[in-house]
Amino acid sequence: MALEVHTLAQTPITAHVFSPDRSQLAVSLNSNDVQIYSRQGQEWVPTETLSEHDKLITSIDWAPHSNRIVTASQDRNAYVWQEVQDPETGKLVWKPTLVLLRINRAATHVRWSPKEDKFAVASGARAIAICSFDEENNWWVSKLLKKPIRSTVLSVDWHPNNVLLAAGSADMRARVFSAYIKEVDERPAASVWGSKLPFNTICGEYTSPAGGWVHTVEFSPSGDVLAFASHDSSVNIVYPTGPVFNIRISSLPFVTLTWTAENSLVAAGHDCQPVVFSGSEAGWQSVGSLDDTTGVKAADGPRAGYGGNTSVGRLKTGAFATFRDADTRGKSSLSGAGSASADTKLLTVHQNTITSIRPYQGHPGQVSMVSTTGVDGKLVIWDVNAVAGGR
Amino acid sequence: MDTAFRKIDIDQYDEDVLHESELYDADPRDPAQVLEDAKQRQAAVRTALARSDVVGALSTILENAPYGPNVDQAKEITLHTLLTILNTTKSTEIPAVIKSLSQDSQDTLMKYLYKGMAMPGWGDISGSVLLGWHEKLTEIAGTGCIVRTMTDRRLV
Repeated sequence: MALEVHTLAQTPITAHVFSPDRSQLAVSLNSNDVQIYSRQGQEWVPTETLSEHDKLITSIDWAPHSNRIVTASQDRNAYVWQEVQDPETGKLVWKPTLVLLRINRAATHVRWSPKEDKFAVASGARAIAICSFDEENNWWVSKLLKKPIRSTVLSVDWHPNNVLLAAGSADMRARVFSAYIKEVDERPAASVWGSKLPFNTICGEYTSPAGGWVHTVEFSPSGDVLAFASHDSSVNIVYPTGPVFNIRISSLPFVTLTWTAENSLVAAGHDCQPVVFSGSEAGWQSVGSLDDTTGVKAADGPRAGYGGNTSVGRLKTGAFATFRDADTRGKSSLSGAGSASADTKLLTVHQNTITSIRPYQGHPGQVSMVSTTGVDGKLVIWDVNAVAGGR
Repeated sequence: MDTAFRKIDIDQYDEDVLHESELYDADPRDPAQVLEDAKQRQAAVRTALARSDVVGALSTILENAPYGPNVDQAKEITLHTLLTILNTTKSTEIPAVIKSLSQDSQDTLMKYLYKGMAMPGWGDISGSVLLGWHEKLTEIAGTGCIVRTMTDRRLV
């Protein structure tokens, strides 16, 4: 069930992240600025705007311990934002520091490492920039992971050991790299992904049987399992020393996922609803959707189906009927506004693709709530244990 | 204005260009063997159809379907054999037949339905038969099946 639904904007939300204490929220409203909202009672009120990028911001991450924000944008830059006291007014303001990414295409995704001493920026330049702070020169420097990436990198995720990095890319591969930086990292302990890990070691390369861009990757809380979702409408769970599970779903592809426990994850995407998967090394399956699409939502009246139950039937109702009526009976949606607009509404809470899902409450391995944002401009918080039923 | 330069294949000058062969794992079988397999399956399907075993015939033809380059003849034989099966199946039996197929076979069947619909002049099959199968298959395997057909580079 959706615990909270907030409509933040009438524009798509490209990325969202909460502050460490969940009292603030940073989003990219499909624009060049980061909009920070503060919680006031039940409302989210816009408080600050971080402007420095001159193209669309594609990804934002907020470091939970050091309270720094990093943003990546299509202008090929990344900025690290730190809250400092303004010498004149004494107020806290966000101050940007430019990062030398050395990429010649858009930055697509950014994530802080668990220790927050590095971050990874995925890009369209067939490279991932691993950035670390150079104390001597007082700036962020980057080192590029290039081989063997053949296309745009769409998502990155850090292993809990602060060294390994998973990346999903448009060349249909999910890969695990070593992002070991001599000056920053201690030698990592051996894991299931390998023992000798110099920079740019490839610890694994995976693809879905039917191919498709890898939209999202994430390590399990222990870091021993990797999950990725690709554009062939499937979720893949990789045990590096054991089996690889490929779960094909009957609806549209997922574009984002997050682990809630070592044996469970939530994925969402073009189907507009978050779906829970659970399993172990013995096998994985879909448990059900967090969104109750079967019932009629209060006060909204009957709506045409977009849920799992009426996969084809809906083609003949909803939007189709609207156009057919307009064509054969000359009935426009304007004259019968009430029924027609209700007909084109989806049964799900989100009315368009969910682009980002993140843990909201709990700690890694025991997440109890997740937050989602999407193209419909909504922010929704879900209880991950309230699975609404089978699909 | 001279626009000929727009037609230049600039990819040939790019050393890092992504080749078709890198997009999917090639069929390990030899093209000649694939052709041989396709012919054998054609015969097996005829026997199965004579026993009116539609499920058996469909599973046979959809398993290890030829894909990739250099196997055009095998692809053609497979398509024609498949179309025979689709044509001879009663429309009331279709849902039960599709339900008994494996997920792999359902995905492959969808690929052939789209291939059939893309044929100039629809091959030797009427559009309504393909659309009938398409409707039933989408009901059972969902829109995900169509997405996989569009995504998969292992073209049949």
